[in-house]
Amino acid sequence: MLDISGISYDNIFNRYDIVAEKEVTPEELFEEMAPKEEPWRTITQKLVFLEEVTDEVEEALNEYDPEDVINKGLIPGMDINGELYARGIYYLPQLIIAGDAMGKGIELCEEAMREAGQERKAKGKVLMHVAEGDPHDIGKDIAAAMLKAQGYEVIDMGRDVPVEDVVDAVKKENPDVLTGTALMTTTQTAFPRVAKRLQEEGLDVAFIGAGGAVNQSFVHSFPMGIFADEAADGPSICEAVKEGKTWEEIREEYDEIVPSAA
Amino acid sequence: MAKYTEMAYDDAEEMVFGEAKEPVTYGHGPQITAGGGQVFGVTKIAPRPGAEARPEKLKTEFRKITKTILQRAVTLGFPTQEIENEWVHQMGENPVEYAQEPAIAQQAAIAEEFADEYGIATATTHTIPDLRVSEKGLRHGQDRESYYPEKVIGSFEIAAENGADVLKIESSGGMELADYGIQRGDIKAFLFGIGYLGSIDMEWLWSQIVDIAQKNNVIPGGDTNCPAANTAMFIAGGYLDQDIARTFSAITRAICAGRTIVAWEQGATGPDKDCGYEGPIVKAIAGKPTVMEGKDCSVAHADLMGNLAAQVCDGWSNESAEFHEEFSGWSSGTWAEAVGYEVSLMNTAKELGEDKTLRDIYMASDRYRSPESYIIAYDNAYKIGEAMVEEGDSYYRRSKAAAIKAAELIEDAQEQGKLQLSAHEKDTLEKVVTDLRALPEDEDKFVEECLNEYGDLPKFNPKNYGL
Repeated sequence: MLDISGISYDNIFNRYDIVAEKEVTPEELFEEMAPKEEPWRTITQKLVFLEEVTDEVEEALNEYDPEDVINKGLIPGMDINGELYARGIYYLPQLIIAGDAMGKGIELCEEAMREAGQERKAKGKVLMHVAEGDPHDIGKDIAAAMLKAQGYEVIDMGRDVPVEDVVDAVKKENPDVLTGTALMTTTQTAFPRVAKRLQEEGLDVAFIGAGGAVNQSFVHSFPMGIFADEAADGPSICEAVKEGKTWEEIREEYDEIVPSAA
Repeated sequence: MAKYTEMAYDDAEEMVFGEAKEPVTYGHGPQITAGGGQVFGVTKIAPRPGAEARPEKLKTEFRKITKTILQRAVTLGFPTQEIENEWVHQMGENPVEYAQEPAIAQQAAIAEEFADEYGIATATTHTIPDLRVSEKGLRHGQDRESYYPEKVIGSFEIAAENGADVLKIESSGGMELADYGIQRGDIKAFLFGIGYLGSIDMEWLWSQIVDIAQKNNVIPGGDTNCPAANTAMFIAGGYLDQDIARTFSAITRAICAGRTIVAWEQGATGPDKDCGYEGPIVKAIAGKPTVMEGKDCSVAHADLMGNLAAQVCDGWSNESAEFHEEFSGWSSGTWAEAVGYEVSLMNTAKELGEDKTLRDIYMASDRYRSPESYIIAYDNAYKIGEAMVEEGDSYYRRSKAAAIKAAELIEDAQEQGKLQLSAHEKDTLEKVVTDLRALPEDEDKFVEECLNEYGDLPKFNPKNYGL
């Protein structure tokens, strides 16, 4: 092998990620952002440090309303995780593991609500699918985890979903937002077919299109389509819909609404 | 079929681009000899969205793609030009209508015409889409809804019978566990999915592909771990990304070598698939030719090893680029040119007897750019290969050995101050090493543990793997 020991790598590349590493720790951010009262503080703490919360949630449900357990304990925990992620301290696995733990907590709360004859008021309902002919769903799964973590109800139709099944599910579920992901240029063509069929049925729903080879100009070429470049864009688009913005308005104000476009 | 328990090369220094221990010849005109002393160029272009609407439309698209690639190669005087087609879903779903004439037969005829007229060595490679979905079933008779396993094998038959020179696939066995592992930083799940289940699936798949290829006298090339290790690599991304740690991604690359090499153990001959960044590891073990991609796949992703990837390749490729117009003509031509000039550089180095110098410059350029490039650097790839063949008779143990060796190489380089790691990369590496070292030695015990731990995952069905 050529003697490469004399290479000064400072002239070859820079590890900008190391240069930009943040000093703040999860512990510091927890102290700054976590609720002070119990049992919310403990539930939040468990989520931030990636532990199960089922025991704490079950205990809290003995004393508090399930909606409070979600909004005062589980959601603040995920808010801190979201902030840690945004600051480059937490990565995807931490969000997913905390999301799994929160999901179990939410299930317990929903069960308690059903028993009390109540229904959970999620932030909104999102119907997700992978395009017909496409077996790749890791992007959809990551986006689903981020939406759930932000308090959205997610209905996951899975992968390789026929156009008509998507249309039927929109009719049945009446979601606030529909999402479709695709890896290939020729499976994403299912998206305009979905949009066309929705129009024919008189349905109008913000339709996030995302995935490997999918790009903004394609998604914005058919009615209802809103492009998401990253999984983390999903909650912001859903929030805009919940604020009452139409898909046309979201496209118009795209760079202000969608984080990856800013 | 016998598993590899010895290295094809006596040492890493022997390995260089354009040369493999077991060259393979195919194609039209003077023919391409993969690994026979020169590097050849491979260009891969995807049809535009909508081109799949009708077979006739797709046929027109493939005619344009094929001609514009070969025209650019002839325009610039390149001696070889391989064209690879990664089939779109519609071709695999209905290969008789969408693939047989539109892509396979038509492209073979055009490749032959150019070879006859200009004397250029041409070939066509067909990469069949792995349509199979674990929930529906991965093997014959399991998927009674979409019949994907039957369609995949049927597509190989149609490609082999109608003019393909080389057959490849990016198979997806074990992906359901790999996805779970990538999202949660769970190296055990990834090892179970790719190192063990994926290898079992490769046995099933490649024994059939090799039979089809031999029956039709075409080349069974190889596979790649695109749906798993590449997924990890893409999600890990570059220095601005923070979805998963690049140390985790690097270890997944080592694990997947144990799976990719099963194609060759089943009788495939190479060249393997370009997006298999594990190519240097499997080439070191088997001595079969490998196609690689790096700087010329920037149209699809950033991989932090754009130069290094070329170090020991036999074919050099771009990544699926969409067919559209650029200032200089069709994108197919621009990518044929970019790939072709890189190949010219490598072959000029060979003519000058400086190929190993260029190999080392390619390697040195990216050696410390990322943990993954570091373990794929040919000297380290060789060491991972050595660790694998020591455990060659067990899919589980050899993938685990590859993972541990890769982790040790990264740890050592970091301790020596040569390879920089972020705090998150260090933490993740530490966790991965702890998790790997806690795994049982015995394969049966490992499988039992994993079935208990992951058996309830919604997408995982042990029957897909005969378990």
